[in-house]
Amino acid sequence: MAFASRRLGKELSKIHGNLPPGITLVTAEGFEEWLLDVQVLDENPIYMGKLFRLMFRFSKSYPIEPPEVTFVNTTDRPIPMHPHIYSNGIICLDLLSTQGWSPVQNVESVCMSLQSMLTGNTKNERPEGDEQFVASNRRRPRDIDFYYHDNTV
Amino acid sequence: MAKDTPQDAARALEYKEKGNRCFQSGDYHGADGFYTNAINADPSNPLLYTNRSMSRLKLAHWDDVITDSLHAISLLPDNMKAYYHLAQAQIALDQPGAALVSAKKAHEYCVKEVQSHAKGAGSMGVITELVLRCKKEDWERRERTREKNRKGLVGEMVKLLESQRDRVLGEVDTGEKEDVETEYAEKIEEVRRMAAEVGLEGRRRKVPDWIIDDITFSVMHDPVVTRTGQSYERASIMEHLKRSPTDPLTREPMRVEDLRPNLALRAACEEFLHENGWAVDW
Repeated sequence: MAFASRRLGKELSKIHGNLPPGITLVTAEGFEEWLLDVQVLDENPIYMGKLFRLMFRFSKSYPIEPPEVTFVNTTDRPIPMHPHIYSNGIICLDLLSTQGWSPVQNVESVCMSLQSMLTGNTKNERPEGDEQFVASNRRRPRDIDFYYHDNTV
Repeated sequence: MAKDTPQDAARALEYKEKGNRCFQSGDYHGADGFYTNAINADPSNPLLYTNRSMSRLKLAHWDDVITDSLHAISLLPDNMKAYYHLAQAQIALDQPGAALVSAKKAHEYCVKEVQSHAKGAGSMGVITELVLRCKKEDWERRERTREKNRKGLVGEMVKLLESQRDRVLGEVDTGEKEDVETEYAEKIEEVRRMAAEVGLEGRRRKVPDWIIDDITFSVMHDPVVTRTGQSYERASIMEHLKRSPTDPLTREPMRVEDLRPNLALRAACEEFLHENGWAVDW
């Protein structure tokens, strides 16, 4: 995975100690899976005082292929409430789909997009059909054809 | 030379097939032998020489790679593969200047393969990498020479200062000798310090953003520009377009044919790397 690891190595050296406020690197061991914590900085009541954990998984053709990005549930890190985030952590965001991805995006820019997606949200709810989706989905997140019906959220 | 008969060419291809099978199974000695038989049957086919040089690359028989590659080039001048192999052998033999010239030729012919939709287009990534590696090693070699000259110069200056000190010591009274010793010790120390700083300075410069390809985050060799005005390394934007025929910034439809070389930026990258070869591995 020379292509991906070289680029990720460079992202890592840029990131170290240089992430925007509210985004912190948790682990980046190897070039397959990274964990980052994200928090919303303003006083949005849905997310106030909470930390959320993101898991990035990279294929060997990253950044030509998108990374797989999901929220993960830990004892003190819940899955954020959002009309585009399923309760199993799968995120419905055009940027992360095979169609919407662009290789000029990077770990930092994806984190910032997700942070701003939370910041701007006012609906304390899950996507429609969350329960059924979580119970039945066996596909990888990037292979799911989400219907981006509402780009305003 | 006897004229080739169709039988010879056919026999050569049979040997070549056998050689290819050996090569694929990792038997590079066996492959070398079959390609040699193929060449004996049909010495006019450049492909046989590039195939043989590929197995010789694996065997680390660098001089033979060079002979085969040059032969293949004499039979077919626009020979991307031969230049690619040649550059690898030259780098292995610590001839980075010559390797860089060869790697650039390989790159140039690879761009032509892309334009004519030939299969050599698939090598753009590895060839670009090789060009950058050659640039780095070429710079390192020049840097080593410079470092050696610098050390020699420092030694000479120290010797001059020492002989001057000894002359002065012979002329002054015993009471002043200690001051003279201290003065010259300080001067010599200062010369060494200055030389060490000059050596470090070149390596501590920052890599400017304009030389970085936004897809691989590597330094660029052959930047191409899109309609938005953004430049990318040719190899990486091609890799992206294979998957998604869109502009990475605007997502508007875009094809390889829409890319234009960015000559001024290319020259700037070239110049920067000439002085800062370390930036290849920033």
